[in-house]
Parts: sequence; structure tokens; C-alpha cells
Amino acid sequence: MSNASLDGKSISIEDAYRRAAQILAGAKFPLIAGLGADVAGARAAILLAERLRGAYDHLASGDSLADIDTIRSFGMFTTTPNEARVRADVVLLIGPGLAGHWPGLFERLALDKPPRHGANAGKPRKIVWLGPKRGEGKIDGGEVKTIAAAPHEISGVLAAWRARLGGRPVALEPAKVKATDALVSTLKEARFGVAVWAAGAGLDALAVEMLQGLVTELNATTRFTGVPLGARSGAAGVNQTSGWMTGFPPRTGFGRGYPEHDPWRFEAGRLVESGEAAAALWISAYDGEPPPWGEADIPTITLAPAGAAPERGLYIEVGRPGRDHDAVEFAPEAGGLALRPAAAPSLRPSVASVIAAIGAKFPEDSPC
Amino acid sequence: MLTKLSGGRVVDPATGKDGVGDVWFENGHIVAPPFDSAPHADYDVSGHVVMAGAIDIHSHIAGGNVNTARLLLPELHRSIRARLSGTPLSTAKWSTFETGRIYAQMGFTTVVEPAMAPHHALQTHLELADTPIIDTGALTVLGNDDFLLRMLRAGESENAIIDYVARTVDATRSLGLKCINPGGVEGFKENMRVFGLDDEVPFYGVTSRKIFQTLQRATQKLGIHHPLHLHMNNLGIAGNIDTALATIDAAQGLPLHLAHVQFYAYGKEGKNGFSSAAAAFAEKINANKNVTVDIGAVMFSQTVTISSDVLKQFNSLAGAIPKKGAIFDGDANGGGIVPYAYKVSNFYNAVQWIAGLELFLLVDDPAQVFFTTDHPNGGPFTSYPELFALLMSADLRRQWMERLPAEALEGTLLPTLTREYTLNEIAVMSRSGAAKLFGFTDRGALRPGAIADVAVYKDQRDKAGMFRKAAYVFKNGQLIVKDGETTRYTRGKTLRTRPVYDTAIERRLDGYYDDLYGLPLSVFDLPDAALPNFDAFAEVSCRQ
Repeated sequence: MSNASLDGKSISIEDAYRRAAQILAGAKFPLIAGLGADVAGARAAILLAERLRGAYDHLASGDSLADIDTIRSFGMFTTTPNEARVRADVVLLIGPGLAGHWPGLFERLALDKPPRHGANAGKPRKIVWLGPKRGEGKIDGGEVKTIAAAPHEISGVLAAWRARLGGRPVALEPAKVKATDALVSTLKEARFGVAVWAAGAGLDALAVEMLQGLVTELNATTRFTGVPLGARSGAAGVNQTSGWMTGFPPRTGFGRGYPEHDPWRFEAGRLVESGEAAAALWISAYDGEPPPWGEADIPTITLAPAGAAPERGLYIEVGRPGRDHDAVEFAPEAGGLALRPAAAPSLRPSVASVIAAIGAKFPEDSPC
Repeated sequence: MLTKLSGGRVVDPATGKDGVGDVWFENGHIVAPPFDSAPHADYDVSGHVVMAGAIDIHSHIAGGNVNTARLLLPELHRSIRARLSGTPLSTAKWSTFETGRIYAQMGFTTVVEPAMAPHHALQTHLELADTPIIDTGALTVLGNDDFLLRMLRAGESENAIIDYVARTVDATRSLGLKCINPGGVEGFKENMRVFGLDDEVPFYGVTSRKIFQTLQRATQKLGIHHPLHLHMNNLGIAGNIDTALATIDAAQGLPLHLAHVQFYAYGKEGKNGFSSAAAAFAEKINANKNVTVDIGAVMFSQTVTISSDVLKQFNSLAGAIPKKGAIFDGDANGGGIVPYAYKVSNFYNAVQWIAGLELFLLVDDPAQVFFTTDHPNGGPFTSYPELFALLMSADLRRQWMERLPAEALEGTLLPTLTREYTLNEIAVMSRSGAAKLFGFTDRGALRPGAIADVAVYKDQRDKAGMFRKAAYVFKNGQLIVKDGETTRYTRGKTLRTRPVYDTAIERRLDGYYDDLYGLPLSVFDLPDAALPNFDAFAEVSCRQ
């Protein structure tokens, strides 16, 4: 069985590379999207977009940009999960389904154990969870104070905390003001507090900014910082790679021969639906997530693991990063980029090697 | 291919040359003039200055903190022009690709990133691997890491500490050690907002003095060429000249490199309580030949400060321009990214500008003082040509001084300093001296056997223009810049040093990482498989 197909019918891999090269080199404005890849795959994809004067976007940019927009419009306090593990005496969890965004989260933060460093070393941590899912706010061995809030209510609750921290009045009934003040005291009394959130849990940029505003103001008298869990499908590593290669995160285009970043203009779904993109290379090597757009009447090439072949368009199978092949990606347990050796090495090609193979088939007069 | 550069003014302090002559190279190395061969390529460089490729000893060009700065400030780096063919992303402003291109165009062929966090070394190396043309290297940051502080608290033997230092330098593939506000960054995690040379780190009971002295001795014992590269306490604070002088007194007579010293040359004189103390600082440097410094000169421009001195950066947040910043409490040092605009009309910025130039002009030996703006902290590296010009012209300095607030000049020496750097002194500072500081024996000189990294500048009155766009730059003998434009990419090497250590320290570290983090040490390692350029490392040998 071949590992490439066209409209669901098996074709040879050489044929697939040649057709992919024709589609991309022939497109006036190609889009490279999905970008669910390791660092090497992202790097190859961005260089390809640059070569073709196309645009690139990541499938979870919407989530990533909640954090990035907060950084670039306001600023941000962050730490690593490991520093939170060893030092955090107060942990503020924010939003539903945090462990879904990183299954290893609670093991890494070791919330059931006291911090090892700092003024409150050896004492149980204080854990507050704002807006957990129903029944979620329990951690084995740790006592969690939960505060119910739907995702869209979180920034309002944080705003009330921030107001009380600054000694300003809030329009709440007296009992709630009292409870808010008690909570704010817990935050203020932290010696090294850490807020943990995932933008993908429904927090928009204003909610993240409200949280960071609170953290900033807490730092006037004590230490408080944050751990962003980031977005799915290798987003954190792709954002870093994009940053050093072009200066910008994804949603960046090269139409003028240099990178321009515009979160609206270069959003993949918009480029496809508006007809601006003339062809698409969709990359989703981690889990084969399909594109967000429906029937696109532009030629599409999909790079995804086995089982994720679309019914229409060109498909080339790739291995899963860190499973089929060694991969450098953002490793949350390390708080940075790290090598994930292949867990089940196979001959399935990496995104980077497929892009190299496609690039080798470009017509000679195509730009480089 | 045998190449000859004919009839240029060869300025090469390493060989004592300063006069018209020829430079020959073949197969990537400088060669002696052959008796019987004609060159395959002969460049007439009469009217030009020929130097070895320049070496920047301290420039923040790679790593997570630099990348955070890129993402923090999209408005500071909008690109404006398409790149030339064959040089992808070379006009993507502030990309690693543009960094390599612009350094090359200025005749720089080796650049050292001075602040690599051990737990984030992989990203630094990936960024350096994506920086074309130039050779690079990095310094590993220790001094706020729990493991070292624990060893000091427990009074462990110097040998144990040396093994840890050597293992860390080796594992992170660096050129040596940097120490950034030793103990102060750990103190900031415990809510200290100032931290001096003799303050104790909470819960460890060790002082900054002890931490840096320990690392200084370890560096010497291991034979690492580059002396401990120290970012002192109290950066940027009025009166911190006292810290600087006391640090030099604490240097035990051993080699010590003090980073971006302009930021420590501040007294408390005058009605604003802020003054240049460069004269006292320079006198101290002149009297202590074991000390080398780089300046970290301030150039008037919008820039961003990137530093692993998280305490200092937190204190700078309130004055950020534009008003935003990122504070990262790392596993050890972390980082703080705070944008700032140095303005010619601002009294404090003017004093900083004056202090930097005074230090350059008052330190006698150009082999003791190095050329930096602490890119991008005092100004971007692209402002180097303007700084060279200021050092070479008292008249140009006078023109600039006319634009400064008059009170900034009160009590300063700068208006009286007539020294003008010669091309030879520029070459000592940026070539031969820089190579010596890192133990590079294959560069910074045009002697036969050295790699053929050569910069050719058209001699002209406009010194900034001369150094901004080299007429020719050869990297490993290959022409990569012509008339100030990069014509193609080559792939640089990353330079590292490999001190020897007892591998028993690795078993101990494994136990430590397992106990504290529940992780294997290897999570933070840099195996060849992680590095696209694993075959492009070159070793700088330790002293025997």
C-alpha cells in the first residue's frame, strides 16, 4: 500500500511529490496552514512559504494569540512548570479542563506535595481553582478551593479581585465582597504565587490580560508569576521557531518578499474562504486534525499521519513527531525546546523531509 | 583557489602590521605570499583598509529571551524590503538570518551570545544554527542555580564545584561561564528588590562575592580561556561605581571580565544625584591588568533591554518605553525584557552616553576594553559603525555634545578628551584582543594559518559609512559580501570549549534532578540528534 493518495486513490510517492510541487509552484499565493509539526517541520514550512511568497498559519493560532497579544500589548510574568513545582506556595488554576491541555500538568506541578524552596518550603500549598469544570476541582492529596465561573465570566471575576487588591469598591453583595477579600488576601500573602492558565480553555486576550494585570499588581508587594499552558499541536515550538526566523508568530505572509504579520489578514480560514489563497498545504502531523474550512475549491495537499487521508485532494502520509522519528518540540516538562527521541521509530517521513522532497521537484525557474 | 588582496592598508595588530601590503589566502586559510604562483583571483584593494574579520564578544543574538523580545515588540521590526536571491529571510528584520547578514556586511565574522541558560541551551543553539555566515559561540549562565548554591552552602570542595561547572559548560556546548547578578536573581524570587556584593542569598547564606569568586577560580582551574564573564550587582543604579570598584578589589588578582561596564559607571554627584564616574572606574581598570571590560555603550535610539538579571529588569518595568515588558522567573536566572528609548534630550541617557565614551577613551590599553553596546541593551549592534566613528573623531563627539542637555556635561571629562582611536586600536579591540580574550588562535589575525576571515573597508572620511558596509568580506576565504551587500549564505561554525571533568558528577546530577524535578537530567541535554548543525561545532582547546 502506498503512503500517498489523490482523491482517496493510492498514487506513488514520487508522483505525489511531483504533483505537490506543481500545485505549490503554480499557485499565485499559496497558503501553508495547520503547521502541526516539530521545529524542523515548522522551519521547513516557513522557508517554503518564504520561497513561494505565500503565507503561513498554525491551526491553534487563535489560542496562541490570546497569550501573544497580551505580551505585546501589555506584558507578561511567567515561570517554568518546574520552578512552580519547587517554589509555588499559592497556585491559582484558571479555567476548565487544564489537564486536557497538558495531561502531565498535575504530576509536574506536584500540587499534592509542599514546595521545596523559598519561605514556605515544606508547608502545604494553597490551591485555588477559578472556573473548573463540574467535578474537576479535586487534586489527590491537595486541598483545592474552587470558585465557580463559566469561561466567559472569568475575566469579570479577575477584575473584581484586581479591584479589591487595589482597595477599590466592587458592585457585589456584602457576603461576596467578603469572600473576594479573603481570596485576595490569600494571593497577597503568597510568597511565590503562580497562576496557571490555558488560552485554549476559552480565555481570550482580554481575560489573559486581566489575569496578568492582577499578577503585575501583586508584584508590587510580593512575588507572583504565571505558567501559560499554550496551545495544541506543537504550537509553542512553532511560535518560537517562527519568532527567530521571521520575528513574528504565525499568521505571517511573504507577498512582498519580506514577512508581514497580520492576525486577520493571514488567518488561514479567511484566506481560503475569501479565495485569496490559490492552493493550500495543510500540515497536521501530531493527530491529523482536519482544516477548519469546509469544501475548499482550491488544490489542497495534506500532510498527516496514517488514517487521516482526506477524501479529496492530495495526501502524503507523515510520521508523528517524537513517535515515528526524533523530534525537537516544546516540552512542557522541560519548560522549553527539547529532543523527544522516537518512541516507536519507523520509516514514515517527517514533515521536514517531505517538504524537502517536494521542494526538490520544483520547476527550475521557480524562485529560491 | 589562491586569492590575493593587493595594495591595501593592512591593519593587523596580531602581526604588528600597519601599512600597505598584500594578503594572500587559499583553501580557507591565510597563506604566506607564494614565491612562484599567480593568484586565481586578484583584488585591487588600494585605497582600502584590510583587517581580519571582527569578533563581537558580547551580543544578545539568540535564545529564548531574545525571541521573547521579538514577540513583545512587533512594532519595532517591520520589514521594508525584499531580500536578494539566494539569501532567504535576510531582510526579515531581527530574524537570525538578518542578524548574520548585517554582521557580515559590517565585516564581523564571529559573534558570542553571552547569556545561555543551561535549561534552554537547545533553543540558543538552534537559533545560532539559523544565523548564517558568521561563526558563533555562547557563554553558559551559572550563579543563581540551586545546585551550585547548595554546594556552596554545604561547603563542598572546590573539585566538586569544578566538576559541576565543567560538566555544565561541556553539556551546553559553550565557550565558558557568565554570571549574572550572582545570587540576586534567586533573591528576587524571594522578593528582594536590591542585591549587593555582600548581601546573602536567602536560605543559602552565601554572598554574591563568594559565588563569583568561586566561579572565577573554577574557570581558571579548568583552563577555560575566557575568564569568568561577570554581570555585576546593582546595574544601572546611581552610585553603583562603588559596587564596580569593590568587585575589582574582590577579583583576587585572577582574570575577570566585567560586562557592559558603562552601566556601572555612575556616581551620585550633581543636582539630579546621577553622574558619570567613568574616570574613577577607568583608573581602576588601568591599575588592574587582570580585569578586562566591555563597554555596553549607550547609543541614542529606540531599543529593548534583554537581560537575565531579572531583579534589575523588574525594577526597570516602570520606566519601559513603550510601556510593557516580560518578566520570566526561570529555573535559575530567567530573563526580563523591557523596551527602552535612549533620548539625546534626556539628562540620564546623556550621562550614560558620556560615561560610555569616557570609559573607551580613558582606559589606556585597547586590549583591555572591548567594543560593545551590549546589543541590544545600550543600542542595537547596527549602531556599531556610528560608535566607531565617535571613538575616532573628537570633532564628531563635540558635535554630538552640543545636542546634549548642558547639565549632563557638567563635571564630566568628555569635553576635554581629545584622544582619537586609530585604526590599529580599533583592530586591537575588535580583532586581536577579542581573539585573545577567548583563546581563539585561528582568527582575529591575518597570519598564515589563520582562517581567511577578512574584512576590506574603503578608506573614507565617513568612518561610520566605512564600517557599515564593507567593500569585501571573505568568510573562510569565500567572498560573501561585495560593496556592502551580502551575495550569498555560508554556514558558520559554533565554537565551544570542552573542559575535562570526573563523570561521577553526572550520576550525582541525575539523582538531584530526579529528587527535585522527578525528571532525568537528559531532558535538558543537547544530543547530536537535536542539533541540525551537530557537525558544525569547532573546539577551542583549554589551557593545559
